Amino acid sequence: MSISINSVSKAFGLYPAVNNVSLTIPKGDFAALLGPSGSGKTTLLRLIAGLENPNQGRILFNGIDYTDKSVKERKVGFVFQQYALFKHMTIFENVAFGLKVRPRKSRPSKQQIHEKVFELLKLVQLENTAARYPAQLSGGQRQRIALARALAVEPEVLLLDEPFGALDAKVRQELRLWLRELHQKLNITTVFVTHDQEEALEMADTIVVMNHGQIEQIGSPEKVYNDPANSFVYSFLGRVNEFRGDSIPQELRLNEETAGYIRPHEIVLSRTALDTSSPSEVIHVHTVGSAVRVELKRLDTDDILEAELSTEKYRQIGPLIKGEMLYADFSRMVIFDDDRPNQAKVSNKIVTAL
Amino acid sequence: MYVKAAADKKGNLVPLMRKWVLILISLTFVGVFILVPLAAVFFEALKKGIELYFLSLTEPDAWSAIKLTLTIAAISVPLNTLFGVIAAWGIAKFEFKGKNILITLIDIPFAVSPVIAGLVFVLLFGSQGLLGPFLEAHNVKIIFAIPGIVLATIFVTFPFVVRELLPIMEEQGTEEEQAALTLGAGGWQIFWRVTLPNIKWGLLYGVILCNARAMGEFGAVSVVSGHIRGLTNTLPLHVEILYNEYNFTAAFASASLLALLALFTLLLKSIVEWKSIKKRH
Repeated sequence: MSISINSVSKAFGLYPAVNNVSLTIPKGDFAALLGPSGSGKTTLLRLIAGLENPNQGRILFNGIDYTDKSVKERKVGFVFQQYALFKHMTIFENVAFGLKVRPRKSRPSKQQIHEKVFELLKLVQLENTAARYPAQLSGGQRQRIALARALAVEPEVLLLDEPFGALDAKVRQELRLWLRELHQKLNITTVFVTHDQEEALEMADTIVVMNHGQIEQIGSPEKVYNDPANSFVYSFLGRVNEFRGDSIPQELRLNEETAGYIRPHEIVLSRTALDTSSPSEVIHVHTVGSAVRVELKRLDTDDILEAELSTEKYRQIGPLIKGEMLYADFSRMVIFDDDRPNQAKVSNKIVTAL
Repeated sequence: MYVKAAADKKGNLVPLMRKWVLILISLTFVGVFILVPLAAVFFEALKKGIELYFLSLTEPDAWSAIKLTLTIAAISVPLNTLFGVIAAWGIAKFEFKGKNILITLIDIPFAVSPVIAGLVFVLLFGSQGLLGPFLEAHNVKIIFAIPGIVLATIFVTFPFVVRELLPIMEEQGTEEEQAALTLGAGGWQIFWRVTLPNIKWGLLYGVILCNARAMGEFGAVSVVSGHIRGLTNTLPLHVEILYNEYNFTAAFASASLLALLALFTLLLKSIVEWKSIKKRH
């Protein structure tokens, strides 16, 4: 089922959670709503599910207006952040719930329900938990049961709210791959909410970057990462160094307010000076997996910045120690001329948080 | 408080001793104020023999008081349970204006003296009261009759179920209900299959407390009942009348019934508490 959102707004009191958002998610797509907390991504997801009603705008499924339809009529599968499993029911009863509450006419027989539940438990690889209660399962297992329960009603749209938010890093990684595979197998239009750019880049076909209740950019992971629409998207999708004023090469500077951005791995470090490079002092060096992160102080402008090298490159350049002098080249710095003033502020915050 | 201060002054008082002093004080207090009176009730009731004890309970006026007390509880407890569930549901699961005012209003029966509560009903429905002439004209008797006692009892026991359910429902939030909604369940299905099972222990606890109070209420009922023997006398009122007539054995026999009810309630309450704790782990 394809989803179209046409100029949808939703406010809580005076706070505009979603502000005039339009978006189309094609059938079978795997889309991520990505943004910081308070960006309106969860509200948008709940609007699609019908758990919230929009103040304005229309929501269409397969081109048919569903704005005024109830949650029940929308036939969406929803996976809650905290899973919301029924504590007092066994896993079997949890998964069977959606089938058991159907009106008598369309309710499957006991035997059919039994088969369907075990088919789903098999799909999420948890057949042996049927008789247990949610409290007896681990976080990752609960997550998969929540998914099985949502799939039991054969939804045409699957909506997941921060599906991996409450899990530890290793389980999260496993589940990401698993969910991706599951989507390939079932091919249900899937929308998930996340604040983790890595998660979005790794899993989604389409990324919808949100901020302040609005969409900043929609595109494939490659598109939003390599060709960000503005400084917010650029900053949010990866580690970034931000520069202002004299730190930006003269030819890039549009006005006083211009901010320049460069990702750590785009800074070229060398031991010899080039005409465009600036002398920088090594403050700290640490290894992260296959990369080496070098914290530097630019001597010409006193900016503190972070550069990233592959271990291979690091070996070429030789071991770096604190206080050592290097030359850093910033020629891949980018600027955004379409920045709204309030956004510059936001990007600023993100950079200092690094 | 005093013990603590004395211990702090000395500074090096052994904690073990402090512990035993505190336990001893509590035990003495419980003994003097609770156990001794409770034992005295049963002692006085049975002093003249078990035969007289049962005789004073089966005598028509006592029997009618017992029946009336059970009737009143059978009417007011279900009504307050129903109301309690609805109010707690509304308050905990929805946001609306005036929510805090509603919560405060629900607490009024706890804050107001039961005698005043009874008096309010007399002022409203009594023959001199606001609605008195109207009721008389339609031949409806509320004050000095069973409806008045039911009203007073409902008023006094009003907050028990709500107060018990509110924190439980607020803690549980609405996610499970929303999940049920997305799975296609309707309003009733959500209530019976999701909400009720989640609150059942708290609900039972509230009902038990509500029932204990409904059967034991004296003040409010005393004002509206009129103390008509065999007609509008509940068990607590019956105890008072017998006592005022120096019929101590009968008074204590009836009192022992109320005491037994209290003990039974406590037992039930402990079982429910134990079960609900066990369920949570």
